[in-house]
Amino acid sequence: MSPLRERAAVSYVLAAPGGLWMLVALVAPTLFIAWVSFWASRTFALSNALTLANYVKFFTRPAYVRVLGDTVEQAIVMMLITGVIGYSIAYFLVVHVRRPAFQLALFLLLVVPFWTSALIRTIAWIPFLGVNGVINQALLLLGIVDRPVEAFLFTRTGITLAQTSFYTLLATGPVVYTLRNIPRSLPEAAQCLHATPLRVFWRIVFPLTLPGVVIGQILVFLNVMADFATAQAIGGHKLAFLGNLVILLYESGQLTFAAVVGVLLMIAMLLGVAVLLKVVDIRRLGAP
Amino acid sequence: MADRPDLELIGVTKRFGAFTAVRDVSLAVEHGQFVCLLGPSGCGKTTTLRMIAGLEEVDAGEIRIAGVRVNERPPWQRDIAMMFQDFALFPHMTVARQVAFGLEMLRRPAAEIRRRVAETLGAFDIAAFADRKPDTLSGGQKQRVALARALITEPRILLLDEPIGSLDFSLREAVMLELRDVQRRLGISFVWVTHDQNEAFSLGDRVVVMTHARIEQVGTPEDIAERPRTRFVATFVQGTNVFDGTVERAEGDHVRVRTATGSFVVPARDGRPPDPGEAVSFSVRAALVTAQPGGEHVNQVGAVCHAVEYLGAIRRYDFRLVDGRSLKLEEFTGRGRRIAEGEAITLGWRVEDGVLHAPAEAPA
Repeated sequence: MSPLRERAAVSYVLAAPGGLWMLVALVAPTLFIAWVSFWASRTFALSNALTLANYVKFFTRPAYVRVLGDTVEQAIVMMLITGVIGYSIAYFLVVHVRRPAFQLALFLLLVVPFWTSALIRTIAWIPFLGVNGVINQALLLLGIVDRPVEAFLFTRTGITLAQTSFYTLLATGPVVYTLRNIPRSLPEAAQCLHATPLRVFWRIVFPLTLPGVVIGQILVFLNVMADFATAQAIGGHKLAFLGNLVILLYESGQLTFAAVVGVLLMIAMLLGVAVLLKVVDIRRLGAP
Repeated sequence: MADRPDLELIGVTKRFGAFTAVRDVSLAVEHGQFVCLLGPSGCGKTTTLRMIAGLEEVDAGEIRIAGVRVNERPPWQRDIAMMFQDFALFPHMTVARQVAFGLEMLRRPAAEIRRRVAETLGAFDIAAFADRKPDTLSGGQKQRVALARALITEPRILLLDEPIGSLDFSLREAVMLELRDVQRRLGISFVWVTHDQNEAFSLGDRVVVMTHARIEQVGTPEDIAERPRTRFVATFVQGTNVFDGTVERAEGDHVRVRTATGSFVVPARDGRPPDPGEAVSFSVRAALVTAQPGGEHVNQVGAVCHAVEYLGAIRRYDFRLVDGRSLKLEEFTGRGRRIAEGEAITLGWRVEDGVLHAPAEAPA
């Protein structure tokens, strides 16, 4: 228990510097963007009239709505892929690799690539995915294809491949944590109650790791929704998600419309997180 | 199959790398028996239990349940149930769901599961919190839920790994008696692992004393307490005095043993009489040592009273012999005077109350 009572004056004082920082750096700019998105004119003026027209414009242009749909779809696809791969990695690390030293070594191996900057990691994918890239050469060498596959670079497939490598670990970490917290006696007790390994997994292990799965999914969801760099580098300029749209509009000087897209992106993220949190109460994470 | 023992271990061995956790253990548990595996921590008793459950593989030997070899069968195909020390309740399931789990896994019809869960919840007096999750239950309640969950499938054998070790001390006695009643009522075999001698002696039809991966002695509580087979068993059992010495000579069915505090006569063991000069040990129960030795108390030794414990029905004395070793004496209160601390006195015991130990087995 904290020695501070919740409503004691001193706790407000202690929270004030952080709170002030959040207010200036996060809350105020966010509210400002929301405000800009309702401006009737494109130029900056405090007396701008407010209107819903910007939002109407967004939802009446099929191209924009499609970008919104693509972004959400990409996030869902990435959650599915990283969820399955990430869980498998976590399960392997915790359940099958029994020796702690080996466990740590493998985990480091997974983490080391993330010591380089996101930009470099993104660019590093290009020589892999190109028509004469590493993947194509390997496929040709193995005789799996007889012509280079062009579907890797400047495509959704390429973006998905790269994002899988970037975000799988986000789905792994929280699952490793929740898996480790399951006492060995629980699956053993289930086995002694005539549960086969598959049923032990679905009835005991998976439900107990669900908080970790959900946290991982939130991290992946938010990262993919906000990711514009991967689409820009690997998707070329043929593909855009909401993040790319914001940049595009901003660079072409359409500030109010960029704000509209930004607000919609934020709403989509909040909705997604709200839905995920419905599944499980993450405040109980770590409780036995 | 009624003539077959519920459980047989035949030469069972378990190794973890270079460490042998269980060495050549053989044991039979008859139908409806209450067997306690007793020993210090690390003696292999829990590993033995886990092999019976199928949670550890057997490296050598054979385990049979109702006469059928089960070495290759996984836990979920064995006719056993297990209670864990931490109870291993599933934190995400209500009490009713936990109790139903075993029957669901056996794919019993839903109507049967409902009926039997209701019966079991009633029988174990846990119906009142059927819809609660384990983290809201007390230790005693958790223990009853774990027991109900284990027994609902009507297993042939219930394995219990220190099942009351995590309960408050004040609860243990009552829970022990409750478990004993359940075992008698259902007539199923219990294999109970404990390091607590009182638990083993008050519950077990038979007690199996283990140390260093091996069985030292199997017998009734009386056998273990009154006729310890080895020096280890004698030291492990409370209220037993152990003497170490060398054989002076064998006199027919008696052996004279020289110790640091005198020479004593002990009944010989069956089989080969020990050679003179051989190192041996023997024990005498504290309750059979008397402070008023008469002619029949052939073995006598001078001692000084060091401490007295008053335990209600009995008084327990701690004497010191001339070499500083302790000798314990227990006598009923209400008869005879209390010996004062510091008082020098002669103690004695009858020849037939000494128990010569089997020679220590060479550690393999």
